[in-house]
Amino acid sequence: MSTDQTVLGTAAAVSQESSAQLRRRNRSRSRLGSVGFHVGSLALTAVVLYPALWMLMSSLKPSSEIVGNVSLVPTGASLDNFVTALNGIGGVSFWTFFWNSVILAVGSVVGIALSSSVSAYAFARISFPGRNLWFSLMIGTLLLPFHVVIIPQYIVFNNLGLVNTFVPLLIGKFLAAEAFFVFLMVQFMRNLPRELDEAARIDGAGHIRIFTAIMLPLMKPALVTASIFAFIWSWNDFFGPLLYLKDPALFSLPVALRIFVDQTSTSDYGAQMAMAVLALIPVLLFFLVFQRYLVAGVATQGLKG
Amino acid sequence: MKRFTLKSMGVAAAAALVLTACSGDADDTDSGEAYDPEAPVTLTFTWWGNDDRAERYNEAIALFEEEHENITVQGTFVDWDGYWTGRSTEAAGRSLPDVMQFDLSYMREYSENQHLLDLSPYMGEQIDVSGFDDALLQSGVIEDAQVGLPTSTNTLALFYNPNLLEQTGVDAPGEDYTWEDFNEFIAAVTDAGEQTPEGEAIYGGGDYTGTFWFFLQWLVQEGKTPFNDDGSFGFTEEDMTTFLELTASLRDAEQVYPVARGIQLLPLGGFTVNESASEISWDNFLAGYVADSGTEDIQMMPVPTGSGGDKAMFFKPSMLLAAGANTDNPEAAATFIDFLLNEPEVGRIFGTSKGVPAVAAQRDAMELEEGSIDATVVEYEEAVADHVTEPVPVPVKGFGSIEAEYKRLAEELAYGSVTVDEFVELWFTEAEMATQ
Repeated sequence: MSTDQTVLGTAAAVSQESSAQLRRRNRSRSRLGSVGFHVGSLALTAVVLYPALWMLMSSLKPSSEIVGNVSLVPTGASLDNFVTALNGIGGVSFWTFFWNSVILAVGSVVGIALSSSVSAYAFARISFPGRNLWFSLMIGTLLLPFHVVIIPQYIVFNNLGLVNTFVPLLIGKFLAAEAFFVFLMVQFMRNLPRELDEAARIDGAGHIRIFTAIMLPLMKPALVTASIFAFIWSWNDFFGPLLYLKDPALFSLPVALRIFVDQTSTSDYGAQMAMAVLALIPVLLFFLVFQRYLVAGVATQGLKG
Repeated sequence: MKRFTLKSMGVAAAAALVLTACSGDADDTDSGEAYDPEAPVTLTFTWWGNDDRAERYNEAIALFEEEHENITVQGTFVDWDGYWTGRSTEAAGRSLPDVMQFDLSYMREYSENQHLLDLSPYMGEQIDVSGFDDALLQSGVIEDAQVGLPTSTNTLALFYNPNLLEQTGVDAPGEDYTWEDFNEFIAAVTDAGEQTPEGEAIYGGGDYTGTFWFFLQWLVQEGKTPFNDDGSFGFTEEDMTTFLELTASLRDAEQVYPVARGIQLLPLGGFTVNESASEISWDNFLAGYVADSGTEDIQMMPVPTGSGGDKAMFFKPSMLLAAGANTDNPEAAATFIDFLLNEPEVGRIFGTSKGVPAVAAQRDAMELEEGSIDATVVEYEEAVADHVTEPVPVPVKGFGSIEAEYKRLAEELAYGSVTVDEFVELWFTEAEMATQ
């Protein structure tokens, strides 16, 4: 017993001294490593962020200094481009374009959150005839290239007199036509324990009750992920608004952005850069606010329940 | 399973019904009713262009609505690429706008598919064409139908930058210069070895054989008709080889503006960043050149003389106006087209921003300041009028894609990844498919 104690005692004495040394060495090594890591990361970030930074700095330069110039520093920085961009195009104010983009983006988020979750519930929890077939058909629509459906779609909306309104751009989102989001939510819901809705059923809850009281609260991560994607995709969508919106007062930002650069007449690159910066801010803010949900949402998707 | 089949058939049948019902509606255009010039009408009108053009059009539309109180014009605009994406989708749905700004290169394609209204019944009625030159009017005719009316004209010009020439000590070519003289000029400027203040080398010019329209101009000078009435080509592989070989020695000696730098500068070019002393282009590019390069002093002269001793230039109609074949109000559309073509006030609003107005009344209405860009372009077109002896080659169907293919191959040629013979072979293979 006593020998044991002596052995332990010497060991403790040795370790006390060397561990302090070790810790010190360790700390300096980790400090060196962390400096290296951060310098490396910063260098990589600089490379990746250079185009964005170039856009930001170019928005402060006069048009003639922008194209073919890789330097970041403007010779004479001015906010003139922002003034031009905020003045709008052809008598339509910048805020009109901005507001249109907001309506489209928020409409998409609401539509997708509502319709996709309901459809997903049906696919994941209700057993109805041909469910697997309908499910594969829905997944099949993901394989259809956008360009194949665009003309028939246009003809239908045109004959319904809905061109030049926001309806063609939003109606699909309210009818769960975005298969990707339905699929995302079905997968999420399949991983939720069935015992929960069975318990609710025993307590006498119907589908509506189960969906609203049990499923929806549990689906928060999936809903947030879908909303973020829906917002960003709608905000950046160029082709849809280009085809369906004819009146300049209905244009969304990406369409308006293109008008500054027209090869057949004089192009105002400065104003385009300024407007691009202004158009980027909301989507950037949106991402910053929701990014932890986004990461959390995507991470949950990967887990087996 | 059985239930599913029945259900899906029902859905399919319903969808088919909706589609047929709709297409039935779209087909009947009521041409039977007599036109009432006082009836309230809404016209849709679309153009491509920038902010500046939009403001000018809005001004013109306001003026038109003031004069024709029963007609409301809904104007809309996007950039060039988006414009044609939009039009092709609308054409598929037979829902083209009532009036459109149109380009020569797309006209045959749209006309052959019956998307454009034949305006000849309205000429002399709503549309006054007395101010037009006959040859110019003909450029809007495809298979006996007047599907487009040009609002303005462009012609090719050699632009050069006198400041760069002064720096390099090379004189601008004389007016009777040939393509060979032009080559020597390019080589001389490049060989001077001067640099811009930013340290970039100064070149004499780009490889002009890379632009399809210059090839057409050269063919016309050689006495050939580039496109026959039946849509076939009036030139052979040998013609194209000869044209591409014009600058072979410049390419080999790397005396033309380097393609890599040119692509880096897109959508600007060597000429607009003051690194290249000359460029052949359409005369209405002057405004853009002055704005982009920041150089006030840019001179224009006619294109080189061909082997026949003749410049054989042509006026290319630009910014044509066309009406959609599906329009419900052809008379009102014609009235609006007439207003844009003939109203002197419209000429004043636009100046030469769309090219030099085709109708004299609009040309005269422009308030030209001595030495302004508008005045320079108008003076240029007046000065070269003697050289303009040929009608414009009316593009074949699929012109847009064969022109794009030519440009793509020219880039490959400049990079040295294809030879002239391969270029010609590849282009003809592609062109035969595209123009069928």
